[in-house]
Amino acid sequence: MRGADYFIKRVVFAVVTVFVAITINFALFRLAPGSAVANLSRVPHATPETRAALKKEFGLDKSRGEQYVLYLKQLAHGNLGISFANQQPVSSNLRTALKNTIPMVLLGTLFAIIFGTFTGVISAWRRGTATEGMTLGTALTLYAMPTHWLGLMLIIVFAGTLPTGGMSDEFLINPSFTEHMQDLARHIFLPALTLGLVLFGEYTLIVRSAMLETLGEDYILTARAKGLKPWAIMRKHALRNALLPVTTLIALSLGYIVAGAILVETVFSWPGIGRAVYDAVLQRDYPMLQGAFLVLTVSVVFFNLVADLLYFKLDPRITE
Amino acid sequence: MRKTSAALFLLVTLAAGCGGSSSSSQEGGTFKIGTSSRIDSLNPYVAFNQDAYSTFMYIYPFLVQYDKANQKFAPDFAKSWSSSVDGKTWTFKTLSGAKWSDGQPLTAEDAAWTINTDVKYKDGGAANAAGLIAHIKNAEATDPNTLVVHYEAAVGNVLAQFQQLAILPKHIWTQHLGKSGNGLKTWANPAPVVGSGPFKLTKFKKDEIALFERDPSFYGPKPKADGFGLRMFSNDDALVAALKSHEIDSIEEVPPTAINALQKAGFVISDVPGADQTDFIVNSSPNKKSHPELQNPKVREAFDNAIDRKQIVDVVFLGKAKPAASIIAGSSGDWANPSVQPTAFDIDKANSILDGLGYKKGGDGIRVANGSKMSYEVITPTDLSSANRTFQILQPDFRKIGVQLTQKALDSTAAFDAMTAPNGKYANFDLALWDWVGLIDPDFMLSVVTCAQFEGWNDSGFCDKKYDADYSQQQLTPDQAERRDLVWKMQTYLQQKKPYLWLAVLDHVGATSKNWTGLIDSPQGPFNSLSKLSLTSVHQAG
Repeated sequence: MRGADYFIKRVVFAVVTVFVAITINFALFRLAPGSAVANLSRVPHATPETRAALKKEFGLDKSRGEQYVLYLKQLAHGNLGISFANQQPVSSNLRTALKNTIPMVLLGTLFAIIFGTFTGVISAWRRGTATEGMTLGTALTLYAMPTHWLGLMLIIVFAGTLPTGGMSDEFLINPSFTEHMQDLARHIFLPALTLGLVLFGEYTLIVRSAMLETLGEDYILTARAKGLKPWAIMRKHALRNALLPVTTLIALSLGYIVAGAILVETVFSWPGIGRAVYDAVLQRDYPMLQGAFLVLTVSVVFFNLVADLLYFKLDPRITE
Repeated sequence: MRKTSAALFLLVTLAAGCGGSSSSSQEGGTFKIGTSSRIDSLNPYVAFNQDAYSTFMYIYPFLVQYDKANQKFAPDFAKSWSSSVDGKTWTFKTLSGAKWSDGQPLTAEDAAWTINTDVKYKDGGAANAAGLIAHIKNAEATDPNTLVVHYEAAVGNVLAQFQQLAILPKHIWTQHLGKSGNGLKTWANPAPVVGSGPFKLTKFKKDEIALFERDPSFYGPKPKADGFGLRMFSNDDALVAALKSHEIDSIEEVPPTAINALQKAGFVISDVPGADQTDFIVNSSPNKKSHPELQNPKVREAFDNAIDRKQIVDVVFLGKAKPAASIIAGSSGDWANPSVQPTAFDIDKANSILDGLGYKKGGDGIRVANGSKMSYEVITPTDLSSANRTFQILQPDFRKIGVQLTQKALDSTAAFDAMTAPNGKYANFDLALWDWVGLIDPDFMLSVVTCAQFEGWNDSGFCDKKYDADYSQQQLTPDQAERRDLVWKMQTYLQQKKPYLWLAVLDHVGATSKNWTGLIDSPQGPFNSLSKLSLTSVHQAG
C-alpha cells in the first residue's frame, strides 16, 4: 500500500505542478515589458479603428481575467490557440518545431549519456592517475566552453567538409533514400556533436563524483576483501549504486529535450523549438509561448515523475 | 519601417545587385542565396518581413514595377495606364492571354477583385494592405484586359502604391475570405502557391528554405536560371562560411566585418547606397512634461552639432555608410532634397548654443536646464546591431557639451512600448536610437512623423498640424514636379524641427560567387520587392 500511496502522491503533485505552471506561464509573459498589441497594431497607415479591430480579433481587447478563463477553456478542449505571428495553429507550429528538434537534441544527449557515463566511471576508477587528469581536464574544458563558441569553431574547422547549417540540402533534386539519409546525417552531425560535447562534460563530472562517493563505501571494501574482480566490483556494486543521481540527471535531460537548445539551433540555423520560442518572445506571441511552455512543463514534469517512480524501484529505502 | 525589427516590420530593403557584366552567359542552374532574414508568412495579409514581399514580387503579378534604375515605373501586368483629367479615375490596360500557374486565366478581373477586397476589409482582414488602397472608392474590370480604378480624390502616388500591391488569384482567395474577411489573415497560402510570376514557389520550409522554379507560362521575360533558392541562416558567421565553401552562391547582406575576407577570397562585392538610415530620436511629443528644454529647436541644434557622424561611419559601419541628413535617403533619387545636408561636428558651436540659452554647467560638468540636470536616458533596441557602438561614440561627445546620456537597452517590442507610454501619449522617454528603411516613393517615410501614426509607425511623438497638412497635400498632388517641391519643403521643415537627428545611411553590401553574374544593382538587393528584373537576369557566367 505504501507503494500505491507514493504513486498517487507523485501523480497528484505532477498534475498540480502542471496547473500552477500553466497559470504562471499565462501571467509571466504578460508581465514582461512590451505587449503584443504594440506589434499587432503597427500596421502601416492603420487607423485607430483598424488597430482596435486587430486587438479585438486577437482577443486582446478583453481583460486579463477574461483572457485567462478563455485560455483555460481552450486548453480543456485541447486547443492551444492560434499564433499571433503567423496565424497558424500553435499545435501545428509546435509539432513542426519539435519534429526538427527532437532527433538532434536526442542524439546529442544520448552521446553525452553514453560517453559521459563511461568516462566518468573510468575517471573515478583511475583516480590519481594520468587517465583521471586527462578525462577530468577534458570534461571541465568542454563543460566550461560557451556552446555557441564551440559550435562556431566546429563550423569553421569543418567548413567545406560538413554543412554549415540547416537540416538538409534542400537544393538536392530527387535524392534517393540513401542519399537523403546521408544528407540528413551530414547535417545533424555538427549540431548534435556540439550539444553532446557540452553535455558530455556535465555527465562525466557527475558520474565521476557519484562513483567516487560509492567507491568509498564499506561494501566496496568488503567486496574487495572477498576477492571479487575489479570489473565485477565496478559493475555490480559501484556503478549500480552510483546510478541514482545519474537517473535524475538523465530524466531531467530527457525532459528538457523538448526545450531544444536555443544556442545550438541559432548557430546551426536549425529550425527547432528553441528558436521558435526565442522568436515568440521577441514578438510577444502569447499563444505560441504558452503552448511551448506547456509542452515543456508537461515534459519536464512527466520525466521527473518517471524518475520518481524509477527511484521507487531502484532505491528500496524509499518504501521503508 | 524598421530594419532591425525588419524581422517584424516590412516592406523594403535588401541586398544589392551585384552588377557586373558578362561577356558570355549560360542558361539554367539554381542560384542559391543565403540570408539572415526570414520569410515570416506567405500570406500578403499577414507578412511583414522584407523577404516575404520580395517573394510576392516574383510569384505574383503587379500592375507596375520599377525600371532597371529603380526610379521610374515600368510595365508589369499592366502594359499601359492613363488617368482622367480630374485624376480621379485611372485606367490600366493589362496583358492578354496571361495565366495563373494552375492554368486558370489571369485577367483584369483578378486585379479588380483584389483591390475591392482590400477596400472592403481594410479595417479587418485586409488591414495589412490598407495603406496601399488609400482614397480608392472601387475598381472594375470593364473587359478582361481593362482595369478602371475610381478614387475619391486625385492622388499623387497611385503607381507607387500599385507597385506594392500584389494581384491575387480570385478563384483561389474567394474560397478563403471567411467570416467578414477574417479568413484573409488566417489562411496560410501554403506552397506550392498559385501565382503568376517568373518563378513558382514550389517549396517552403519556414526559417529554412524557399525554393523557386522557373514558370514557363509567365507573361513577361523568361528567367535565365532554372530557379533560385533562399536559404535562411540564423548566424552570420555560418552564413559567411557557407558562401566561402560554395554551399551558397550569394549573400543578400554581408556583415561589414566579413567584406574584406570575402573580397580576398575572390567573391564579387557589390556596394551601393542603401535605404537604411540610423537615427537619434528626440521625444517631440506635446504630452511630454519633463525636460521641456528638449522641445527647444536650439537645444536640438546643439545636439546635432555634437554628433561625430564621420566617426560613426568609420567605427560602427567600417566605412560602409555615409553621414545622413534627411528623412528621405539619397536612394529615393529625386525625392531626396539635396539642400538638406548632414550637420557638421562642432563641439564648440554646440557649447556656445547651450551657453547662449543660459544652461550653466554644474560642479560635475553637467548643465542644468529649467532646474534639472541635462541628464537623459537613451532607449536602444537590442536588435539594432549598431546601437551599442553608436551610443559609445555619442556619450563622451555629449559629455563634452555638458549633457549626460545613459543607455537603456530593451528588445524592440519593449522599446516601442516604452517610447509610446503611457497609453500612446509618448510622455515619458527622452531620447532613443533606432533606424528606418525607406521606400523609393517618399510617402511612407513622410508618414512616420504624422499625428495619425501615433501608436502606429510614429516613434518620435512628433505631431505638427502644419506638417500634417503638407503630408495630406503631397498625397493629393498628382503633378509629380509639384509634389516633389512639396516633399522637399517637408524635408527642410523636419530638418528645422529635428524630431530625428539622422546619423548614417548604410551602404547595401552583397557578395556573389564569380560563377554567377547579371544581378541588377539596387538599394535593396538581388532579391527585392522593387521589380522582377534582377533574378530574371541572373545567370551562370560563361
